[in-house]
Amino acid sequence: MAELTLVIGNKQFSSWSLRPWLALKQIGLPFREVLVLLRRPETKAEILKYSPSGKVPYLIDGSLGVWDSLAIIEYLNELRPEARLWPADRAARGLARAISAEMHSGFAALRQHLGMDLKRAPAQGAWPAEAAADIERVQAIWAEARARYGAGGPFLFGHFTAADAMYAPVVTRFHRYGVPLDSGLTAYRDTILALPAMREWTAAAEQEP
Amino acid sequence: MAGASLVIGNKAYSSWSLRAWIALKQVGLGFEEILVPLDRPESAAALRAHSPSGRVPCLAHGLFRVWDSLAIIETVAEAPIGAALWPRDRALRAHARAIAAEMHSGFANLRRHLPMDLKRKPEPRAYPEEVAAEIARIEAIWAECLAAKPTGGPFLFGAFSAADAMFAPVATRFRTYAVPVSAASRAYCDAIFAHPPMQEWVAAALDEPWVIEYPRP
Repeated sequence: MAELTLVIGNKQFSSWSLRPWLALKQIGLPFREVLVLLRRPETKAEILKYSPSGKVPYLIDGSLGVWDSLAIIEYLNELRPEARLWPADRAARGLARAISAEMHSGFAALRQHLGMDLKRAPAQGAWPAEAAADIERVQAIWAEARARYGAGGPFLFGHFTAADAMYAPVVTRFHRYGVPLDSGLTAYRDTILALPAMREWTAAAEQEP
Repeated sequence: MAGASLVIGNKAYSSWSLRAWIALKQVGLGFEEILVPLDRPESAAALRAHSPSGRVPCLAHGLFRVWDSLAIIETVAEAPIGAALWPRDRALRAHARAIAAEMHSGFANLRRHLPMDLKRKPEPRAYPEEVAAEIARIEAIWAECLAAKPTGGPFLFGAFSAADAMFAPVATRFRTYAVPVSAASRAYCDAIFAHPPMQEWVAAALDEPWVIEYPRP
């Protein structure tokens, strides 16, 4: 298999890029990383060099290119089914896919008012009621997954899955904006923040221009 | 899946419901349809009773629940009956998933300015620049697929796939808002409307008693 290439945006704020990057790291697939700085005059041309779709993240596997965080994760699941990016149990997998898809298309207020910003020093933020409702919904999702399927480990479904990758940027938002969490969920937040891959991403984000 | 049910919203307006519903019909999965009319005082409680996220669509099978259009499609595609929902070829399947996911998380302006409304008499509506850009992107996605599609049908990957399910509501928007599109895009929209499950959905939508007037953004 040719080496995979993942084209990503700034580690400081590209939450969509973090999701497949973390999934690749966690399942141990080697890949080349190409980082394109976003929000610059040359950004569009730079992305098009690699990604005909004009989108990041973008995964290149030989002649094949896949964009979108969730589509890339489904592709990785097909490449490495033994890594169990989705839980093996059918009901658990259904819940994992449902909450991952809900993250993928939803939580607009959370995304808008608590944008991922890994250069922000952790401090109490302020947000409107719509964002508070999103925060409450995320916590309900985490609590349900942990209660039903989390017994085998510290992640949403015990071992690391695609659902953890999809919610990892939310973990950083909760951390950086000082969002108070229900007592059972602080351990989950800290588990994600302590992952070596997350520390690597965060350290790189802090060094970005 | 004997005993499966699908909770959906109004057929005239619920674009996410259409996506999951047409995928289930496409693979011939038998299911009970539970329609919860949206935007009414009792809607939220009725939805909560059926769907843990309080949203439609939601697929239920015994204690098993999966919500969200794309998650439902992936779940059905895993079952033997749903094997043809994604293209068989790995590269085509990856492409189909990419455009389905792009639809799933994107095109917010199109969705807001031109909401699905199957009761609307087709006529143009003015829309801002951001919507025009999203329409151009959708046409580019379709053109790339249709130029390279395998034989076997008029759809994005030849035979009807999950990608077509995801874009079916867009085809209705292009028609009901009389959006000027290329001949190839129009032919594709016509193919979506001519698809028998789509005809069944549209006919039922027109028969619904409820009318929702969305405020113009």
